[in-house]
Parts: sequence; structure tokens; C-alpha cells
Amino acid sequence: MKLLGELGRRVTMLLRRRKFDQEMDEEMRIHLELRERERREAGLPADQAYTAARKNFGNALALREASHDSWGWSWLEHLIQDLRFALRMLRKNPGFTATAVLTLALGIGANTAIFSIIDAVFLRPLPYPNAQQMYLVARTGNAYGGESISPAIFAAWRKQQSSVFEHLALFGFMDDSTLMVSGEPVRIPSAGISWDFLAMTGIHPILGRDFRPEEGQIGGPNVVMLSDRLWRERFGADLNVVGQNLTLNSKSYTVVGVLPRGFTDPTFSPPYSQLWLPLQIPAASNNPGNGGLLCLGTLKHGVSATQAEEALTPSLSELRREFPKMFMSNERAHLVPLREMLNEWAGTAVLLLFGAVGLVLLIACVNVANLSLARSATRQREMAVRSAIGASHSRIVRQLLTESVVLAVLGGLLGVAVCYASFRFVVTLVPANVPHVGTFGIDARVLFFAFALSIATGVAFGLIPALGASRVDLTGSLKESTTQAGARGAGRLRGILAAGEIAISLVLLVGAALTLESFARLTVVQPGFDSRNVLTFRISLPSEKYDTQAKRTLFFDQAIHHLAAISGVEQAAIVSILPLAGEGDILFSIEGERSAAPSGEPLAANFRIISPDYFRALRIPLMRGRELTPADNASSAPVVVIDQTMARKFWPGQDPIGQRVWIGKAMGPSMSEPAPREIVGIVADIRESALTDAPGQTMFIPYAQTKWNDSESFVLRERAAPLMSVPAVRDALHQVDPTEPLTEIETMNQVVSGSLKDWRFHATMLGIFGALALFIAAIGVYGVISYSIAQRTHEIGIRVALGAQRVDVLRLVISQGARLALAGIAVGVLAAIGLTRLMASLLYGVAPTDPLTFVGVAILLAIVALLACYIPARRAMRVDPMTALRHE
Amino acid sequence: MRRDEIPPGTLHLLILKTLARRGELHGYEIARTIQQNSEDVLQVEEGSLYPALQRMLVKGWVKAYWGTTAENRRARFYRLTTAGRKQLQVEESQFERVMSAITRVIQTA
Repeated sequence: MKLLGELGRRVTMLLRRRKFDQEMDEEMRIHLELRERERREAGLPADQAYTAARKNFGNALALREASHDSWGWSWLEHLIQDLRFALRMLRKNPGFTATAVLTLALGIGANTAIFSIIDAVFLRPLPYPNAQQMYLVARTGNAYGGESISPAIFAAWRKQQSSVFEHLALFGFMDDSTLMVSGEPVRIPSAGISWDFLAMTGIHPILGRDFRPEEGQIGGPNVVMLSDRLWRERFGADLNVVGQNLTLNSKSYTVVGVLPRGFTDPTFSPPYSQLWLPLQIPAASNNPGNGGLLCLGTLKHGVSATQAEEALTPSLSELRREFPKMFMSNERAHLVPLREMLNEWAGTAVLLLFGAVGLVLLIACVNVANLSLARSATRQREMAVRSAIGASHSRIVRQLLTESVVLAVLGGLLGVAVCYASFRFVVTLVPANVPHVGTFGIDARVLFFAFALSIATGVAFGLIPALGASRVDLTGSLKESTTQAGARGAGRLRGILAAGEIAISLVLLVGAALTLESFARLTVVQPGFDSRNVLTFRISLPSEKYDTQAKRTLFFDQAIHHLAAISGVEQAAIVSILPLAGEGDILFSIEGERSAAPSGEPLAANFRIISPDYFRALRIPLMRGRELTPADNASSAPVVVIDQTMARKFWPGQDPIGQRVWIGKAMGPSMSEPAPREIVGIVADIRESALTDAPGQTMFIPYAQTKWNDSESFVLRERAAPLMSVPAVRDALHQVDPTEPLTEIETMNQVVSGSLKDWRFHATMLGIFGALALFIAAIGVYGVISYSIAQRTHEIGIRVALGAQRVDVLRLVISQGARLALAGIAVGVLAAIGLTRLMASLLYGVAPTDPLTFVGVAILLAIVALLACYIPARRAMRVDPMTALRHE
Repeated sequence: MRRDEIPPGTLHLLILKTLARRGELHGYEIARTIQQNSEDVLQVEEGSLYPALQRMLVKGWVKAYWGTTAENRRARFYRLTTAGRKQLQVEESQFERVMSAITRVIQTA
């Protein structure tokens, strides 16, 4: 209670400052008069009494200040004073203010943009309440990506569940479901979850209920849950949607629940699933192959990840005994916290960008510190006067820091504004597989970061000039009208700072140049096929309607036939996965010999299901043997075409034509083909997975000879303008089956350049940052040189008067700039050699210490630095000795 | 005539005691009273008196109001509050404690 009263009194005082001052003055006056009277009564004459009293009294103003200080508000009032003064000073120097604010805006704005990405990807809490306890359960020791779990493995692990896991659940992406909305088929991204998945994440449906165990068994009822978005967009947020039936993939499903907003797949990247179906997991499975499912779990209280791993590993050994070809000998269960897994998927590249943009801010700070140093040299007089009046050391430092923080906050505001405006553009550059890419935004957290960064920046660049300025030689500064005294030492410091800026710019520019070079090299890599004038799109046949291999084959037969008939289409073909658009490999055995390479690794290759015209459509040359033809169908002998790499690798020194391979034999009965295939042809290598990977190692089989022909990409080679033919394509397909939608319509060129999206992003971002850094460093050099020249006007005047030519003056200026630049470049090169090592994994075709790049960037910086000296040099050359000598 | 400085930390005590004894005084009177009661040994500087009075106002130990002196001049008068009286007791006992301790140390020499 006492404190409350005290607080109340203090606050009241704050509001009544002026009254306080008046009353204080009046009180002092009385006291003074009475003192004076006292002296007079003691016998002093009137005027002496007056002076004596006053002398005794002391400094009234200081007294009033001291009294006021007792109330404890002086810090706030000083702050307000400082702020007002800072704003006034900034207004009086528009040139300095504008330059500084702009520079800081660039630095802080860029950092804010990248931070918003970092925040969304790494820092923001995941939308699952139990996210902290969730682990991804995977396998190590497996060559095919241990994250992929099959129902068999899950069933085996489930038996161990009760001892170590609170929850163990499965998640898997499914093919888009075809939902009938008002008679039109719409493709909806869908996912399957085991019945207890939601319980594990801690999320509850906002309408309806979770899945039940019986719905997770084979033959269970057809139920589905809707995402919040789907519910709003397609069902009008109808509160009675639970219990309604929908037609999915030509079957009837009942809606049992609606999920809350923000709930998404555990990979948090597009395409975000909108429909959720229960995974129907058999109690035991005879399909141990890679199931493409993710296994997630939460541990029981007190159980460690290692204990869980120990509990699950024995099941893997058992499975290996049953299916020796599918499992490696030393596979173990491995738990990774979900957050860590996501960070890994996001890649270190985003962090690299953060480092790069941090460097840009550093350069900006150094620049503004330089400018501040220059200004503080001219303000020494002011500092001296302040000191003389009675400002303490810390008060002066506080005031100068306030100025720099105000500057930084202004810069930050401008930077955030620019960020806001350009945000949409930045987001389009980000590769789609970075998690959470749909949720980047400038929200409260990002703004707070920008604000905190601005304050920190202000303190950082303001500290050095503030500390320097407050240590002032009083009499010296008050006497001299020039600022020679401090200038020399400060001048050297500024030169060092400018050289530092150049060094940092060099590091950034080298990084940017290397990335740009990598990207440029990638764009000219020969993919092995001709992607010009090729239209692609995808059709996935729903398994309910096209339930036999014959029906599917017929669909594609007719589709290809109709498409080939369109005028302008030269070839029409299909392929299961477009080159550079995805991965799909499979194990195989070589008939009569081995199913494993000498090293013990199973034989594997990329696996593509194609139509006969595929190679011709993409202009892939045939090297030996023959291509596939329409005669290779379900009733003829099974055939396969391989590429040169496979021929070389698996049949060295032999002719593979006529040899037989058995695809999928080692993967258990449900993944294996029924019979071996004969190799009938060898084609040239193409790049299937990525432009950065080695080409080749692919097998091609005819779509008519396999049951896996449900989802195919169409490849149409046209004479010109592929996208113009889309309406004709739709018509042609309509004749075959009007209910099948076309998806992913793009040209082959777009597919190829789409595979480089990551590289393009990094090259663009680093390029922008490098350019920014160069720009800011150039301004830094310009500032230092021009200031130093202004200082030396006197000296130049003397030189000219003594006979120096304009050329000599020019040489003077240039040599100063050159010394700066060389120092900076030398240090920068050393730093860059050390640092670019860290980005080696992000480069292609160029070494991190590529000498040509380094030399090129060094030369660029040198030229820019010299150009920055140009204007000061011209000014110096035009110095008139008479005015210079008079100038101080 | 050299007057000794007021020992640090005792100014509040002196002011509180003076007000307790004399009721309401204005600033000058407080200084004079202390000086007189100490027989001119202790001299209160204005530079310390007024800040101290303000501090006591903050803490609520004294109350201030404007009134008129005997000569009909406007002056600010101070008087003790209940909290001030309590504080006076605290400070008095503390002072006594410290003083007797110091005396003991000096005497056992």
C-alpha cells in the first residue's frame, strides 16, 4: 500500500512539472530573502548581505534540478529532451540523415525479409500441440531413404508400441482424390492417416469426431475428414456437414469430422492436403517394400529415444530374415525429433542467406558509423560546450546514442515498409519445398525482430562515435575553430572502417558470383533430350473406374490415338514420371546370375513406364537394338529398353540385348513383376532426377505390359507454341473420357527450369545482396575520400600554389582511394577463401576457391572504389589556391 | 566560525525530529532550528535540505502546503505525517544503536 501511494505521488509530479518549478522558485526566493535579512541583522551592509546570502545559497538552478531529481523522473525527461534534440539535429542535416536512413533501411529491410522466412521455417512453433514430443521413426542403414516405412514394418513395430510409445501413427500422401462437386470432377490433394494420428498430434476436430479403430482396418467403413479450407470453400462452412455423404473416386464416403484451421501434413509444404482418409492397415502385411509412409510417434513418459530405438530394432532383423533382399544387414530404428527433421528438409541454404544478409547489414552499419564519425568531428565544439555547462560523460554518450537509435529506427521503419511492398515478389522466388512456404508473412514477431534489430543497430554504429566524442579536450576544442585535433586519429579509423566495408563486400560478392556461375552452368547442362515445343500434363486414372489393366491400357491407347490426330502435334506419348520431375526407382535382378552387385548392394535403376513414341517425342536417340512398338502388348513377350549407363554398368564388355532382367523380384510378391523381361534396345542417357546428378541408369517398359499404368504424364511434341493447343487437347481427351481432369499442364521447358528453382532462388538472392553490398561500400568509400579531401583543402591549396599540376592532385586522391581499396580487397580475399568453403555443397561446376571468380570480383571492386573517388577527385582538382589558403 | 558538516545519513533524522518538536515549519525555519538547537555546530546547506525535503515528500513522511509567515509572506510549510512519525522512531532507534556501538569502540581504547 505504501508503494502504491508513492507511485501515485510520483506520477502526479510528472504531470505537474511546471507548477513544481514555479513553486520551487518561490520557495527558494523566500529562503534567500530570509538569509539576506539574517546577514543584515548580523551587521553586514545591504549589498554585501545580498551577495553573501546568494553565495551561501549556491546555484539556484542546480538546486532546483537536484530537488526535482529526488522524484526519480529525470531519466524520462532527459530521454524526451534527447529525442527532441536528436530529431532537430537530423532535420538540420538532411543530406546526412537521408543517406544514413536509406543505408540502414536497405540493411534492416533485407534482414527482416529473410528473418520472416527463417521464423516461419525454423522458429515458429508447429501447429500441433504435441509437436515437442513428436518423433519421426525411421530406419538407418537403408540405402533407399529410411524415412519411408511400409505397412509391414509398421505392423511389426506396433506390437512393440505399448512398452515405449504413447502413440505410434502413420501418415502417407495419397493420389489426389476426385471429388464430385455439382457434377464436376475436382481433384483434391488427399492424405491418409492411421486412426490415432490426430490423437498423437493433440489436435481435435472442430466438428464431428476423430477416426475410430475399426475404420483403420481393411474393409472398414468409408469415412473421411475435411480440412477447414475445404469445408469453407466447397461446403459453405455448413455446420451440418457431419454425416453427409460425398462421392470420392466414384465411391460414397461419409464425412465424420472437420479439422481446425492450420492443421496440415507433417511435412508442412505444398500440396497441402484437404481430405483425410483413414489408412487401412492390415494386421500383418506381406508387402515389406518401401511403402512411402511416414511413421510418427510420441514417447511414453520417462522413455528415451534410444530406448525406443532398442525396442523397435529387433523387428527389423526379423523382417530381414523373412525378406532378405529388402533389408540391409545392419538396419536399426532411428528416432528424430520432428522439428529437427523439418529443419533438415529445409536445408542449410536458408541459413546461408541469413548470413549473407547479415553481412549486408554489417556493411550498412559500418557505413553509417563512418558518417557519424565524420559528423561528430564537426560537433566537437558542441560537445565541449555541453561538458562545460555540466553534462556528465554518460549523459553525453546517452544523448549521442539516442540520436543514432532514432536514426536506426527511422531506417528500420523505411526498411519494413519496403519489405512489405516487395514481399509478394520475394515469396515467388522461394522454392516450394521449403516447409511452411504458404505461411511466410510479416507478422508481429517479424516486426518485433525488425524493431529490436533497429535498436541494436543504432547502438552498434553509434557507440564508437559516441564514446569518441564525449572524451573531449575542453579548452582545445573551444579555442580552435577547425577540427584538426581529432581529425587525424578519427580519419585513420574511418579509413579502416571503409576498408572493412570493402572486405565484407568482397566476401559477399564472391559468394554471389559463385552461386550465379553455378546457376549459369546448370542452365546449359544438356539434359539428353529436346525440351522445346513439348507440352506435358498428367492424368491419374481412379482405381474404382479403371480397375483392370486392360481398361487402363485401352484408355491410354485411345488417348494417344486422339492426341496424335490433332494438327500441329507431331508425336504423342506418355511416361510415368517426366524427366527432372521426380524420382522412381526399383530393384531388379539379372536373370541367370546375380541380383546383387559384388559389393552386396541390391541392383537398382530408375524405372519408367512409357508408350512407344516416347523416345521420338523427346528426341532421345536409339543406340542399339529396337524401340518399343505397339506390338509389345499384354499378349506378347515382356520387353524392356535400357540406357547406355545401365549397359555399361551391369553388362560390362557384353551385349545386353537378349539378356533378361526381373524387375522387383527381390521386393516380395506384391512388388515383383510376374515374369522376367528381355532387353530389346539401348537408348542414350538422359538426366532423370536432377541436372546436377549423373545421367542415366533407367529402364523403360511399355504401359500395355504392366499393371502399374494408372498415372501417367503425357508428352506431346508440337510444331510450335505448345500451350496454344491445350483446348484441342481437352477436346481430344473428352472424346475418350469426359470425367478425367488434366493436371499439371506445363511445357517441358518449364519442367526443366522448374527443377532449377532452388538454384535460381539462391543465385537471385545472393546477387541482390551482393549488389546492395557493393552499392553501400561504394558510398562508404566516397564518403571517406570526399571528407578527407575536404579536410585537406588547405594542404591542396598549398601544393597547387607551390606548383603541383592537376594531375598531381588527381594522383593524390586516387592513391588514397587505391590504398583503401587494396587493403580492403586483400583482407576480403583472405576472408573469402576461408568462408566460401562453407557453401561448397551449394555450388555446381565451380570450386569455392575458383581463382577466376576471385580475380574478377577483386577487379570489379577496385574499379568501383576508384569510380567512387572520381567526384572528390574532380572537386580536388578544381581547388583554387587562393580560396583554399584562406579556408581553414 | 566554522560549522561542522552534517554527518551523512542523519539529515532525515534531524528534519523529522525538528518537525516533530515544532509542528509546522518552512524550509528556512527548519535550517535555522537545527542550527540553533545544535548551538551552531551543525549547518544545513540548502543544496542538501531541499532535495532531502523532496525525497521525504516522495516517501510520504512529510506533507507540504502553502501558507503565510508571520510577516504575511507566502511560504511552503512542512509537517509530519503518521508515516513520518513512524519513520522518526525507526531512525531514532537506529541512530542510538549505531552511536552506542561507536562509543563502545572508542571507549575501549
